[in-house]
Amino acid sequence: MRLLSRLFSILLLQLLARSIIAAPVELRFVVWDGDESLRVLRRVIGEFEKAHPNIKVRMENVDYKVYFQKLLAQYAANTAPDVAMLDPQNFQRYARRGALADLEPFIASGDGVNLADYYKPIVDVHRYQGKLYVLPRDIAPIGLIYYNKRLFKEAGLTLPDGRWTWDYEPRPSQGTACFTNCLQKLTVKGENGRVKQWAFAPSWVGAFTDTVVFSSGARYVDRPEDFTQLNFTDPRTIKAFDWVASLANQKHWMPSQSEMTSVAQTTAVQLFISQKIAMYQCGIWDVPNIRAALKPGSPEFFDWDITLAPGHIDPATGKVNNSAPTGGSGYGIMQSTAHPKESWELVKWMAGEPGMRAMAEAGIAQPAIRKVALSEAWIPGPNTPIEQQYPASRKFTDIAVPSVVFPPTAEYWMEVSGLAFSKTEPIYTGGTTAKAALTEGNKIANARVTSILRQENLSPFNWKAGIGMGLAIIAAVFGWVFWPELKVKRTKAEKAESRAGFMFISPWILGMVIFTLGPMVLSLLMSTTSWDLIQTAQWRGAGNFAEAFGEDPRFWGSLKVTAIYTAVSVPLGIIVALGLALLLNTKVKGMAIYRTCFYLPALASTVASALIWRKIFQPEGGILNIVLFGSDGQRNPLGLASALGSNGQLPNWLGNEKLALPALIMMSVWSAGGGMIILLAGLQGIPETYYEAATLDGAGPWRKFKAVTFPLLSPSLFFTMITGVIASFQSFTQAFVMTQGGPNDSTRFYMLHLYDEAFGLLRMGYASALGWILFAAIFFVTLAQFRLNRLVHYGGDS
Amino acid sequence: MQKRVALDRASKLVILILLIAWSLAFLVPFYTSFAMSLKSPAELSTTAAWAWPKNPSSDNYKEVLSNPNVNFARLFWNTLVISVTGTTGAVLSASLVAYAFASVKFAGRERLFLIVLSTMMLPGIITMIPSYVLFKYLHWVNTFLPLTVPAFLGGGAFNIFLLRQFFMGIPKELDEAAKIDGASHFTIFSRIIMPLSGSALATVGIFAFIYNWRDFMGPLIYLNDVDKQTLELGLATYNSLRSEQWQLLMAGSVLVTIPLIILFFSGLRYFVKGMAMTGFK
Repeated sequence: MRLLSRLFSILLLQLLARSIIAAPVELRFVVWDGDESLRVLRRVIGEFEKAHPNIKVRMENVDYKVYFQKLLAQYAANTAPDVAMLDPQNFQRYARRGALADLEPFIASGDGVNLADYYKPIVDVHRYQGKLYVLPRDIAPIGLIYYNKRLFKEAGLTLPDGRWTWDYEPRPSQGTACFTNCLQKLTVKGENGRVKQWAFAPSWVGAFTDTVVFSSGARYVDRPEDFTQLNFTDPRTIKAFDWVASLANQKHWMPSQSEMTSVAQTTAVQLFISQKIAMYQCGIWDVPNIRAALKPGSPEFFDWDITLAPGHIDPATGKVNNSAPTGGSGYGIMQSTAHPKESWELVKWMAGEPGMRAMAEAGIAQPAIRKVALSEAWIPGPNTPIEQQYPASRKFTDIAVPSVVFPPTAEYWMEVSGLAFSKTEPIYTGGTTAKAALTEGNKIANARVTSILRQENLSPFNWKAGIGMGLAIIAAVFGWVFWPELKVKRTKAEKAESRAGFMFISPWILGMVIFTLGPMVLSLLMSTTSWDLIQTAQWRGAGNFAEAFGEDPRFWGSLKVTAIYTAVSVPLGIIVALGLALLLNTKVKGMAIYRTCFYLPALASTVASALIWRKIFQPEGGILNIVLFGSDGQRNPLGLASALGSNGQLPNWLGNEKLALPALIMMSVWSAGGGMIILLAGLQGIPETYYEAATLDGAGPWRKFKAVTFPLLSPSLFFTMITGVIASFQSFTQAFVMTQGGPNDSTRFYMLHLYDEAFGLLRMGYASALGWILFAAIFFVTLAQFRLNRLVHYGGDS
Repeated sequence: MQKRVALDRASKLVILILLIAWSLAFLVPFYTSFAMSLKSPAELSTTAAWAWPKNPSSDNYKEVLSNPNVNFARLFWNTLVISVTGTTGAVLSASLVAYAFASVKFAGRERLFLIVLSTMMLPGIITMIPSYVLFKYLHWVNTFLPLTVPAFLGGGAFNIFLLRQFFMGIPKELDEAAKIDGASHFTIFSRIIMPLSGSALATVGIFAFIYNWRDFMGPLIYLNDVDKQTLELGLATYNSLRSEQWQLLMAGSVLVTIPLIILFFSGLRYFVKGMAMTGFK
C-alpha cells in the first residue's frame, strides 16, 4: 500500500514538474497588416519562437477599419490580446484609461532597447503624460513626391532633387526648383482644351493641403496631446487651402474635383502608373504596388523615383521649411496581460532590429530605428536585386523625418477635425472660399471641443438601482403585453389553443431571455450614463438626451439625411422590386437564368462591390457617366451634364454633396434583389384559379393586377415596406465603405454618427442614448405603418 | 382571336427584351469583378476596370487558393459549417414561431409580435459589447456557437415576420377543414402549411444562408484564431490599410460568390406554384 502511494506521489510530482517546465507561455498578438506584411511577420515570429522556446505566439489579423472596435470589445470582456499593434491616433484612448502598460520600466531595466536608436518624433508621439506606451516599428512620412522621369525630361525640366519650394506664383527662371513652374510645364492639354496629362495629384487631397499648411509654419492645434482650441483660421492656412483649390479649379494642373475627393483614393497611383500624371504625393507604402505594376523590362515600365515634397521659405530664417504630415505604428502591451515579461520579449523582437529588418527588406515599411533605415535593408545598394532598386532615392524617407508632423494624438481630434474638414470639402469644388469655410468649420469644431471637454460632476452609476430599474422595465413590458388578457375569459378549448401557441413560440422566448433581453436592457440603462467601456459608468441622467437634441452638431443633420434616404429609397426600391418580380413571374424559357442574373448584385461581397460601385460612379471613365454622356463625355441628354456637373466637368457622383446621396440611393435600388425575391415568392403563392376566374369575367391585365395580384400580394408588400424602413433607418455599411459620410456630411447617416461616438470617442453611454432615440423613431414610424395593416389582404378574409 | 395571339406574341417579345436588357445591366458589377480578377497588377492600373483583359490569366486565382495567409480551403469549410448550421436553425425555428403568430390564437399575441419586431429596431452596435461579454461568460468566444446557436432560438425577427406574412396568406379554409377533422396544430403545421410554403421557406433559407455567408461583424468579433475565420474576413486581408491588392480581392470575391450563385440557382426549384398543386378551389 505504501509502495503504491509512494509511486503515485512520484508520478504526481513528475506530472507537476513537467507541466511547469514544458508548458510554454502562449501570447496573443494582434495586427492590422496586409497580405505582404503578414508573410513577413509570420517568418519573423517563427524566428522569435525558435529563439524563445518557452514562448508560443498566436498572431491574429484584423482589418484596420474595425480593428479598434474589436480590441475594445475584447478589453471590455477581459479577453484582450497580450500584444497589440497601435498607432499615434489611437493609442491615447487606451493609454489614458490605464489599458496599456508603460514601457519605460522595461526599457530602464537595460536589456537591449535604446530609445536613442529610434527616430525621435515617432517615439515622442507615442508618449502620453510623459510615459511611453508604444514601441514604434515604422514611420511613414507623407511628404514624398513620386515622379515620372520620362515626363520630366519631355517637359524640358531637370529632375527634382528635393530642394524646391511651393511658390504660389510660377517663377520660370527657377526651373524645377519652383514647384508651380513644374506644374505648369508638366500639364499637357489636348486640342479640345481638355487636359490629357496632369502635372500632379495627391493621393488624397487632405494630405496635400496639410503639407502646404504645415510647411508654411501654421498648425491646427497648439498642444497635440490635449488641445482645448483649434485654429483653422490662421491666414497661412487659409492661403494654402485657396491655393490648393485653385490648382484644380482655375489652373487645371491637378485633376479637378474628381480625384480631389477622399473616395477616389486609389486612383492617384493608378493615374501615375498609366502615365496620366507626372507626379503624385503619397507615403512610401505605395512602392510595392508600383513595383508590381512596373516591372523593369515590361512594356508598362518607365523610369521613376521619389523625392522630398517642396516646402515654403521661412521668412524668419530664409531656410526651406519641409514640414509634412506623417503616419507610423508600433506595438504596445495590454495592461491586462498575464505575461508582461514574455510580451516585452515579443515587442522588443518585432519592433526591434529583427522585425524591422525583415519589413524593410520586403520594402513595406520604413524602419523606426534610424540605423536600419539607413542600411541596405531599406536603401538600395549595389547588391540589391534590380526589381528592388526602385525607387533609387529612398534616402529621402530619412531626410523627411526631422520635419514630420504627426496628427494630434488627443482622442477627440478625429471627431472635431472631421467636423471642420467636412466644411472644407466645398472649397475644392469651387463652391465656397477657404476663408468662409474655415471660419465656419473652426466655430463648429471649437464648440464641440468645449462641449466634449466640459467637466461634469458625475457620481458612479448605482448598479443596484440600475438592475432594479432594469427588472422594473421588463416587468412593465410584461404587464403591457398580458394585462389586457387577464380580463379575457377563455373557454377550455381556447386555453388549450393558447398553450399550443406558447409551445410554438417557446424557442423565440428562450432566445429572447438568454441572448437579447439582457443586452437590450443594459444598453437602455447605459443611455443614462457617461460610459467609455473601460472605466466604470457614471450617472448622467437625461444629459445624453439633452446633448443629442440640443448640442450635438451632427444629430439633426444625420437624422435628416437618414430620413430623406429612407423616404426615397424604400418606396423606390419597392416599386423597382415589384416591377422586376412581375417580369420574373412570366412564363419564359430559361427563367432560372434571368432570375439568377437579377439577383446577382445582392450576392456580391461588400468589399468587392464597394470598389466596383466606385468605378461605376467615377467621373472620368465611370460606367454611369459613359452611359449618360457617351465615352467622350460630349453627349448631353436632357441638359443633364450642366444640371449635374459643374464647371463643364462631368458629374462627380460621390464627390459632389448634391449627388452623393442620390448615388447611394441608386446603389441601394440596384441591390434591391432581396425585396424582389420576396415579392416573387409572393406572386408564386397566388393561385392560378383566381386569374382564370378573372379572365372569365373579362378582366384586362390592369384589372387583374388591381383585383387579384395587388390584394393577394399585399402581405408581402406590407412586409417589404416595414422591414425596408427599419433597415433603411439603420443604414450604415454603404456609407461606411463608400463615402465615410462625406462630402460635407451629405451622406452622414445617423448610424455613422452613432458609430463614431461609440468607437471613435468611446462614448458608449451617449451612443446608447442615440441608439434608443433611433429605436423610438423607428418604433413610431412602424406603428404608423401598421395602420395600413387593415388594407392588407390575408388568406382568411376573402 | 388572331389579334389576341399577335398581341400575346408582341408582349412576350417585349418581356423577353426587358429580361435580357435588365440581366445585362445587373451583370455589370459581377462582370467587372471577373474581368479585374483576370488581370495582372500592371494591366489593372493601365486599363479601364471593365475592359476585357488582353491576356486573361488565372494567376490571381492560383495565388488566392494557395496563399498561406488566407487558407482558402479552411475558411471555406468554416464558412460552410456556420452557414449550413445557421440556416437550418433559422428555417426550423422561425417557421415554428411564425406559424403561431399567424394561425394560433394565444394570449398577448399582437403585442408580443410588436416586441418581436422591436428587436430589429435597436442598432446592433450598442448591444454588441454586452452580447460579447455575455458570450464570454458562456465560454463561447472563439467558437462558432455565438454565430449559430441563436439562430435555433427564434431564427431572427426578419425571418419570423416574413414567414408569418406568407402563412397568413394561405387560405384559412384549409386548416379549418383540418381542424374539424380533429387535427392538432402541429399536424396542420407540418402536413398542410409547410408543404404549401416551398417558395417562402426557400426565400428564408436563401436569405439566411447569404446572411451567414456574407456576415462580417459577427465572425470579426467572435472569432480570433486565423484558422477559425470565415471567407469574408479572409477577403478583407486583400483590402487592408495601405495595401490593396484589387486583383486578388476580385479573384477571391468571385470564388466566394460562386457557391451562392449555385445555391440560389438550385433553390429556385422550390419557387413553384405552391397553391396550384393542392387543387384548391
